[in-house]
Amino acid sequence: MDSGSAIVMPGERITSIEEVAKEKRVILGPGLRRLDDTVVASKAGPLRHKEPNTFWIDNYQRRYVPARGDLVLGIIKGKAGDLYRVDIGSADIASIPYLAFEAATKKNRPDLNPGDIIYARVLNASADIEPELVCVNSNGKRGKLGLLADGFFFKCTLNLGRLLLRENCPALAALTRELAYEIAIGVNGRIWVKANSLRETMALSNAILTLEQAGYTEIDKICDSLGDVLQA
Amino acid sequence: MFMNTGLFEPGKTKTERKFVQQAVKQSQRLDGRKSGESRNVEITFGGEYGSVIVALGETKVMAQVTCDMGTPTTSRPNEGKLQLFVTLAGVSYLDSVQKTHDKRSLTLNSLLERTFRTSRCVDLESLCVASELHVWCIRVDVNVLNHDGNLYDASTIAVLAALMHFRRPDVTFTDGELRTYTEKERDMIPLLFLHYPVSVTYCIYTSNFQPFVDPTLLEENCADSTIILSFNSYQELCTLNAGGTVPTDVRTIMQCARSAANRCKAMVTFVRKALDLDEQQRLQGSTRKYTGMLGLMAKSSQKLSFRTLMKGEQKQEQQQQHKSEDMDIEAEARPSAKLEECVAENVENDQPAQEEDLRMDASGWLPQEAEPEPIIDLTKQGPGKPKRKRNKGNKKKQPQSS
Repeated sequence: MDSGSAIVMPGERITSIEEVAKEKRVILGPGLRRLDDTVVASKAGPLRHKEPNTFWIDNYQRRYVPARGDLVLGIIKGKAGDLYRVDIGSADIASIPYLAFEAATKKNRPDLNPGDIIYARVLNASADIEPELVCVNSNGKRGKLGLLADGFFFKCTLNLGRLLLRENCPALAALTRELAYEIAIGVNGRIWVKANSLRETMALSNAILTLEQAGYTEIDKICDSLGDVLQA
Repeated sequence: MFMNTGLFEPGKTKTERKFVQQAVKQSQRLDGRKSGESRNVEITFGGEYGSVIVALGETKVMAQVTCDMGTPTTSRPNEGKLQLFVTLAGVSYLDSVQKTHDKRSLTLNSLLERTFRTSRCVDLESLCVASELHVWCIRVDVNVLNHDGNLYDASTIAVLAALMHFRRPDVTFTDGELRTYTEKERDMIPLLFLHYPVSVTYCIYTSNFQPFVDPTLLEENCADSTIILSFNSYQELCTLNAGGTVPTDVRTIMQCARSAANRCKAMVTFVRKALDLDEQQRLQGSTRKYTGMLGLMAKSSQKLSFRTLMKGEQKQEQQQQHKSEDMDIEAEARPSAKLEECVAENVENDQPAQEEDLRMDASGWLPQEAEPEPIIDLTKQGPGKPKRKRNKGNKKKQPQSS
């Protein structure tokens, strides 16, 4: 990833991409749009580039736009027919059918109540219909999906969620050195954590929230200080 | 319109509630504060007189005071008007209904009304130019920019600071002609105050008898009940607002009241200090680059923080708090020196009735040990109503005009 990147504003024409596009195909990621022959930014933020030909804008956002295949954390809002209504932070409320859980049948329904948190995958996401979630993979196994009990849950920006999930992000590994914990990160900017004790969970969630502003270099420092806090 | 508004708020899931309740049980808070510890308060004054942004942690409230000539009401022909307008429009996760008709916006509105209008903190008679004809109408616009809990305190501090910061132009009325002077012709005049009220908010949970001061939004949403107390700098109660489901006993409320009174006093001192500093800067004529919102939000604009300004005094305050906590443990009906001081304090004539109750000997103010206090019905109550009833008997016995 190219770190030295320019900040672009919505509506700005980005000629650098256009030039690359003359030679080869380019892939425009989130925040970039093609208008006829020009490439225009639709969001504000640093322009990112991944070799050879992928561009996107890493913008600051809290509103989640569902995309197929995303892993999200949702809050059960209620029941409607044979569906649960789930809030995933998108414009529309999502739904998950009773049968989308492992070993669920018409008679054997999952026991979920309003206020519960589930970890689910987005099955359907389109502009015109409500997003649909599932808690099983194509083999009917739940894997890590499903109800998340206990622990602590908080909301953050979409950036932080993506940052933690990035392959080369050292944050989670660094935290693992300090304490044992479980974590579920939704790309919809929601994180669920659970450590051995209340204090640890608290410290962990605060540490994760401070990572937002930190660069890769500072991550180690923050994680180290977390260890100090816990030992004190 | 978004269908799932209100869901961006923390504290709406079982997990969060359970977690906060557990933390409360161990007297721990997520941001590492103690139960009686408040967040830092920062005040930024705008280029205009009467514009202020107050930040209480992440909660940000802007208050803007403006004035206008108008006619008085027929019932009070020689008094100016004070109007308060609150909008939650800046809070992005609330929808239009929540912004205007939600419980919290109504509570905030009524709290501000009671703290500043009903308690008559601004001397409205001084705003009269010509009786029955011309009076000043003072308008306070309160804009909530960000909501991270405890809007009440942030708003009251902002309104108080804005009112204290505000200057109105001088006006004369001769031979049926109204003349307004510009700033160059005559100095602008600050408002006259009878007292300076500020509120303090507490959250109460079933799992812990200790009240938690200055809650964040998560704590507020998970709380079983919320108590808001407004005190003025003379440590007189101006507003009491209690709501929720926990049966709160009188002792808890008194404990809150005592520490709130101290906190309010410190807060008013802080606002005064901040105003002095701002005035000094104005006299020095340090030019501000920006005006309006930008000036308030810009990084260059000077933030006046409670912690730095009140460093020396906070130590005192803590000592006092310790003292009052000791008293709670003993729970003896001993008159506190603090409250006697405010008896001696020269208080203006037209103070509201409930304040007279507080000017009495503190022994009447504390709950009596033997008497089993009835659980107070925590529906919204008028300012200090139950107290007034209880103290009625004592009132006559007390030598009031000491």
